[in-house]
Amino acid sequence: MEETRPLCVNAVVNLTDRTVDIVETPEEIIRNFVGGRGLNMYYLYKYLKPQADPLSPDNVLILGSGILTGTLAPNTGRHSVTCKSPESGIIGDSNIGGFLGPEMRFAGFDRLIILGKADKPVYLYLEDGNIEIRDASDYWGLLCSETEARFHYDLGSDVEVQSIGPAGENLVRFACTRYGVKNAAGRCGTGAVWGSKNLKAVVARGNRGLPVADPQGMINKYIELRDYLKESKVINVLGRVGTPLLYDVSNYLGAIRTHNSQQTVFFDTLNAEEVHKHVEKMIGCYGCVVHCRHRNTLGGEGPEYTTEVLLGANIGVADTARMIDLNNIVNDLGLDVSSTGTYLAWAIELFEKGYLNEETAGRVLRFGDYDMAKKLIYDIAYRKGLGDTLAEGSRLVQKFGPETADFLIAIKGLPQSDPHDVRYLKGFALGIATSSRGADHLRSRPTLEILDLPVSFTTQLYGEPVDPNPTSYETKSTVVHFSETIYAVVDCMGICKFVCHGFNSPRNLNYDHFRELTRLATGLEFSKEELKKVGRRVIDQERLINYQEKGISRKDDTLPARYFDDPMPSARAKGSHIDREGFNKMLDEYYDLAGWDRDGMLPRERIEELNRLRDLTDK
Amino acid sequence: MAVKQKQIYCRPSLCIGCRICANACALTHEGTANPRLGRIGIRQNLFERYEYQELCRHCVEPPCLDACMVGCIEKDEETGIVTNDDRCVGCWMCVMVCPYGSMKRNLVKQMAVKCDQCQDLEGPVCVETCPTGALVYEDREDVQEKPFFSGPSVT
Repeated sequence: MEETRPLCVNAVVNLTDRTVDIVETPEEIIRNFVGGRGLNMYYLYKYLKPQADPLSPDNVLILGSGILTGTLAPNTGRHSVTCKSPESGIIGDSNIGGFLGPEMRFAGFDRLIILGKADKPVYLYLEDGNIEIRDASDYWGLLCSETEARFHYDLGSDVEVQSIGPAGENLVRFACTRYGVKNAAGRCGTGAVWGSKNLKAVVARGNRGLPVADPQGMINKYIELRDYLKESKVINVLGRVGTPLLYDVSNYLGAIRTHNSQQTVFFDTLNAEEVHKHVEKMIGCYGCVVHCRHRNTLGGEGPEYTTEVLLGANIGVADTARMIDLNNIVNDLGLDVSSTGTYLAWAIELFEKGYLNEETAGRVLRFGDYDMAKKLIYDIAYRKGLGDTLAEGSRLVQKFGPETADFLIAIKGLPQSDPHDVRYLKGFALGIATSSRGADHLRSRPTLEILDLPVSFTTQLYGEPVDPNPTSYETKSTVVHFSETIYAVVDCMGICKFVCHGFNSPRNLNYDHFRELTRLATGLEFSKEELKKVGRRVIDQERLINYQEKGISRKDDTLPARYFDDPMPSARAKGSHIDREGFNKMLDEYYDLAGWDRDGMLPRERIEELNRLRDLTDK
Repeated sequence: MAVKQKQIYCRPSLCIGCRICANACALTHEGTANPRLGRIGIRQNLFERYEYQELCRHCVEPPCLDACMVGCIEKDEETGIVTNDDRCVGCWMCVMVCPYGSMKRNLVKQMAVKCDQCQDLEGPVCVETCPTGALVYEDREDVQEKPFFSGPSVT
């Protein structure tokens, strides 16, 4: 009994009416958006009512696997969670590893499109072509780890669970959704959207096989790529110590976000070798050849580089074990680490500057106070006292005054995720300024320039000569354009960026590999140019949604004032800041490359194309 | 009398729980991807913090062989490899008696599946695809002559 199944099966779940409709994505749409983040954006544009309130039943929540998710292609455990962000009011999109994405596909669904709102807590149970909307009142209120353990107890230990914690239930605007101990669809407050729909969890168990067009070819290709990737130095280091390896590098440069970016160097106690004293074992996600996840000795997983800086240096906590403890707490409560750390540091600076006082804050806020940070994190998740205020995230700028936005390290309403202070690396600065979901490094992170690569090599890589000086404003738009395009394609594939060309290393998987893997997995042939066009189309689609929802244009593609006005205080990067004139020139070039006008608007033909595709009907 | 047999062994400290072995096994034997359809399985619990590799030991006295009511499980006297075939009726008795959790269920076909050490190929595909070298296929000298476990038997 050989199973056949369409390339992309979507389940449209209406929680208000408790109905489930199955729709297949036509091949034309797959050719234009591929899968993962791309198709999620397509369906968000299709289903979202313009100007919908993100926490109302009108918001659309999409969990979509990539076209390679679950196949044997290396590091294909990823899916994207997409909605309108309650934190920033523009697109909310977050990519998550772990095992749920593949399991959804094995259960027969490539994408869940969740509409409406359930009248009481529910979870979705997916098994072998069936979706049930089940009562979740027994699980409401539990921490992420408790929720998952409870599901394992109730439904069998082999189910895969993605859930929200108390933060999501309490509609904290930067709550995340979590798989396992630490995998998170972290950014953009997707967890609050789950909470607003009364959706506690998605649970999947898939016994069906996922068709692979050429199984033996796929096995051979996997072995070839594994051996190729294993030769990469950075993949080997990531497998040994994980992302904290970057801490030392940034700290040496003097570009670690410390005390809300007022300082840029911090203690050596957060170096990878110190963190590693608390690590029991390195583990991987589905189909992983890197294994960068730490199982720590304090009962959790992590920390990542992002966590150790945002819950360490940025709030002044230097003790390794205490930082890891905060990491574990934030993970269990279901909060986004990047946003939480940024808002905590911002609140402390608000206190220092007199916008908050002991009475309004309920306690003294100061950098380096672990006990205060811990209490405040719980208060945010359970919305108590000042925590209730902070849970509103970047919207608080309106409450405390527009000038407070100058020292909130956020763009388009989303706090910066990368712990790297971008005042030194100009290309990186342009990347986070133009990123479609707000200040984020996973959209375009162009950090190869710090590697001092020979010009001949970078010319080949980017297709034209690129200035090797990381502090120059020249040609950086080319680097950002290249990176954001390939990362968009990677997100459509469902592959982890750690094995992707241009993220940490100039080698690793590139368009040719994606073409080959897509052919082996699905039989679909894409050319390199077609894939690049898909990347651009996805970015343009996001730009269009952002414009529709919040009028995003050139004025929003900017940086926190601190990055322009305050020079970096220490070490090698001392004196660096972003020059407004240089920045504007980069932005002009960036728009030219993207084919947008100088105000950052899409050309009319593109809008018409996207509208035409949106209006195509599903089968 | 025990036959010295080349076996698949695991070094658990190297297992990262990626399930590539099981997925490659499924692709080889079923032609579709899904680690649950593999003859090898990785049982992982992120909260209890373990990875356990469900490997068939090709027991000297296989409890699955004893338990099978249709007699579709056989042990090859020469190679020592224990195999089953498609006469399986899906009663899951073999699954219940296997002390290592190594008899797998294909719930779509309603048949038990088990490791045959990829005897038609050059070597077991799980070993070949393991990204960390946790799985090895080797002759070990220190294998006990007497079976470590002689399980429930109907004889």
